[in-house]
Amino acid sequence: MFFLKELEKTIQLHPSYFGPLIRSHIHRELLTKEEGSSTGKFTIVCVLDSFDISDGQVIPGSGAAEYTVHYKAIVWRPYKGEVMDGVVTSVMRAGFFVDCGSLQAFVGRAMIPSDINFDGNATPPQWTDNGDQIVEKGTNIRIKIKGLRSEVDKMYAIGTMKEDYLGPLQN
Amino acid sequence: MKTIRSPPGIQYPITVVELAKKTGDDIARSSPLFNYYYTSIVTEHDKYGDSTEVEKRFPARFDASADGVITKWYIAKGSVIQRTGVAIVDIDEPCEHEVQFGSLCAVCGKDMTEVDYLTEERNVDRATINMTHDNVSLLVSQREAVRAEEDAKKRLLTARKLSLIVDLDQTVIHTTCERTIAEWQADPDNPNYDAVKDVQSFQLADDNVANVAANWYYVKMRPGLKGFFDRISDMYEMHVYTMATRAYAQAVAKIIDPERKYFGDRILSRDENYTDKLKSLHRLFPTSTEMAVIIDDRADVWHYSDHLVRVPVFNFFPGAGDINASFLPKQQELVMSSVKKSASDPAPKQKAAAEGEPATLISIAGKPIVPVPTESANGELSDLEQQLISMNSADSPEALEEQVKEQEKVIVTQQTERPLLQKQLLLDKEDEVVEDANTIVETHNGDTHSSEHHKHRSLLHDDDIGLQIMEKNLRRVHRAFYDEYQRKKALPSGGRIAELKGEKSPKKRAMEDQVPDVGRLMPRIKRDVLGGTTVVFSGIIPLGMDVENSDFALWIKSFGAQVGLTIGKYTTHVIANPDRKTTKVKRAARYPHIKIVNVDWMFQCCTRWEHVDETPYLIELDPADRVASPFEDLDDDEIGITGDEDFEGIAEIPVGLDMSDVKWDDMGDELDNFLDESDDTEGGDNVSEGDDSDSSITSTSRLQRRKKRTMERVTSLTNVLSADKSSGLPSPETTGPEEGQCEEEPKDTDPAGLAADDSDADDGLEAEMMAAMNSDNDA
Repeated sequence: MFFLKELEKTIQLHPSYFGPLIRSHIHRELLTKEEGSSTGKFTIVCVLDSFDISDGQVIPGSGAAEYTVHYKAIVWRPYKGEVMDGVVTSVMRAGFFVDCGSLQAFVGRAMIPSDINFDGNATPPQWTDNGDQIVEKGTNIRIKIKGLRSEVDKMYAIGTMKEDYLGPLQN
Repeated sequence: MKTIRSPPGIQYPITVVELAKKTGDDIARSSPLFNYYYTSIVTEHDKYGDSTEVEKRFPARFDASADGVITKWYIAKGSVIQRTGVAIVDIDEPCEHEVQFGSLCAVCGKDMTEVDYLTEERNVDRATINMTHDNVSLLVSQREAVRAEEDAKKRLLTARKLSLIVDLDQTVIHTTCERTIAEWQADPDNPNYDAVKDVQSFQLADDNVANVAANWYYVKMRPGLKGFFDRISDMYEMHVYTMATRAYAQAVAKIIDPERKYFGDRILSRDENYTDKLKSLHRLFPTSTEMAVIIDDRADVWHYSDHLVRVPVFNFFPGAGDINASFLPKQQELVMSSVKKSASDPAPKQKAAAEGEPATLISIAGKPIVPVPTESANGELSDLEQQLISMNSADSPEALEEQVKEQEKVIVTQQTERPLLQKQLLLDKEDEVVEDANTIVETHNGDTHSSEHHKHRSLLHDDDIGLQIMEKNLRRVHRAFYDEYQRKKALPSGGRIAELKGEKSPKKRAMEDQVPDVGRLMPRIKRDVLGGTTVVFSGIIPLGMDVENSDFALWIKSFGAQVGLTIGKYTTHVIANPDRKTTKVKRAARYPHIKIVNVDWMFQCCTRWEHVDETPYLIELDPADRVASPFEDLDDDEIGITGDEDFEGIAEIPVGLDMSDVKWDDMGDELDNFLDESDDTEGGDNVSEGDDSDSSITSTSRLQRRKKRTMERVTSLTNVLSADKSSGLPSPETTGPEEGQCEEEPKDTDPAGLAADDSDADDGLEAEMMAAMNSDNDA
């Protein structure tokens, strides 16, 4: 789910950047460092334009300046039970991996309907019901999150496609 | 099924008061399982301050540590549990968390890292085996791993395939970062154009390997790779297992397998390998490795696994080495300078002849320079590789960062110093010299074969046939495996199966019975190759290294040969360095049944898996050494020992100093000479006593002979000219009485008859030169 969230970030700037363009340097730094990063709870999708930069403070001993930036960003946080779309990145006998933006989810054998079976001899290997449902690398797929765990900078999810309207998306 | 046992940490004995659930009931984690009481002695105080010790009963509740259905109670009301570890109840769990992804159960989605007051064993410990190629977060339990492997095995058996683990760098491809390649590719006139025209290149988008901007990698596929994969993929399911990064491995896989039909996603890189020094079969096949075969150019990283088919190193870009080698353990150093060249060369004579040509031509030009550039062009351990090796040798905490830095350094060196370009320039320069010389030679003796030298020679040789040999071996293993399988299958195994029916998985047992183990089959095939031979290394393995455990010794031992330390009566072969005459060689020379061969012979045997004919690999010996002279007997056994040992030690110092090998050898010869002479003075009195040997030459004074040899040695460089003139006619020097004994001298390759000369290196060169010239004339 997407949220608008107020965040704070401390940015250190090397003295060589001190000058009239200092604000744009800070902005660039903020964008490169924050956009796309994951805190473990959520992923920062997009930093909004309006932000507030505090007065800089020179750090004793290094000459670098420290700025505290308050900004708003669109963040994405997955929830257990959430249905989302992703792309299959890897297919194996034990299941397959799905990338949903910054979240990597695994759909295990137990989470795949029993009529869809693994075919390891196909190239590339695929999960298929020998009909129109084929899950192979690159397939767009809709899954539901069954379990979620976050570490410091990474999230893991277990997905399922065993419910109605889940599974490979028709183009 | 999980059995709950009495936990530690409660006061035993306990007496069960009442069971809270019946068999067949559902139970939730942390809900009461049964009530019990325990007794304890407590001190009670009354209002008068007196204290008494009384035994009291305390009621308590026992909570379930697992969800599920109760299948069996081991206790009943009134049971007394005396100690920890007593089975209490069996609970059938709905999910045993056998597949876990990022510490989440892939079956039920629960977090496996949670720990509470009931946790006896962490759930994450239930699944600890990683058997996926491209992910480290997905773990499975032992049982699940076995199941998966049984499935895979069945699939392979029906397809009549085996698993093949393929190493990338220097096994199927060779990579360099030198942008000279791109320049050569763009220039059809370049002598190397033909060799590099099919070299493919790539850049890694997120290149943290080298912080150099836009680093290009140039990948040369081993000749015939496509066909090799095509044919081998019918017999083997192939996996990539490399110590390179994931991005690199994938980029290379895209080049060698663009349709992804050979490898698919079965690519395992350093990023997914847990240790950074070793490769392990168990990383991919955790429970059964019976059907796995490995091809790799390094045996040490596999701990000399029985499943390994060691392949000759593919060294296309001379001096480039393995750019990912800094992540592998240090390679054992080789004294032999020509090792690498010959490893990938099935017909060493012809190629050596072709390559030796420039060196001889130099001496024709009257420039007895050490042919350093050509030698490095031949693909031996160049200085860059040496650098690599020495960098690796630091066995201090091999932090990954350090290795990355090393690799970076190698890449930067390749980019900035461009060793290939330098070598080619040197080669070109040499050519010019040679051309000048050629004109002189032509005027001298009206030779006609100068035309081919006007074209510049190329540095790169596109003539590796290692894959053909590899394919043959792999076919052999495949055939042996399925022959054995058919044989075992045909056996009536019903009784055995019935016997095993009671086991947990009788099916599995039955299959294990039938499926032969590659790890046993392959050594059996290999042992026959050199069975019954006993080899002694001389001048090959650096002094101070444990011979028995050196790379070469382990390698040849895996082919059934015994490795001896000294020449004995069981010795059948001496593998020696042709540039150096050690005590062992001299000693062995006296026994006609001992074959003295160069390392190429061993490489040929070990890569082709057959006992190849020794004749082309025999080291040409000084006929004088052949003679079982009584004095040398004495030399070796009594007086000479210390002297000769010293000599050997000194001669073996130039480990890795290949640049100056020849010089060193010259020095070694001189030293040898000196030592021999000193022996002369010591052993001079024994001349008359020693006459009782079976030697045929007793008349000529030994001193005279020595003198003659020394003279020949001095003139060895000018002799080349006479070789040219004599054009294949045997010179009178060889027609001495010794000829009868030197039956191992290949006469056809030694027309000038310079074998009497002590320096074998020159002999070889001359022979090669003659061969080359003859072939040139033919062409």
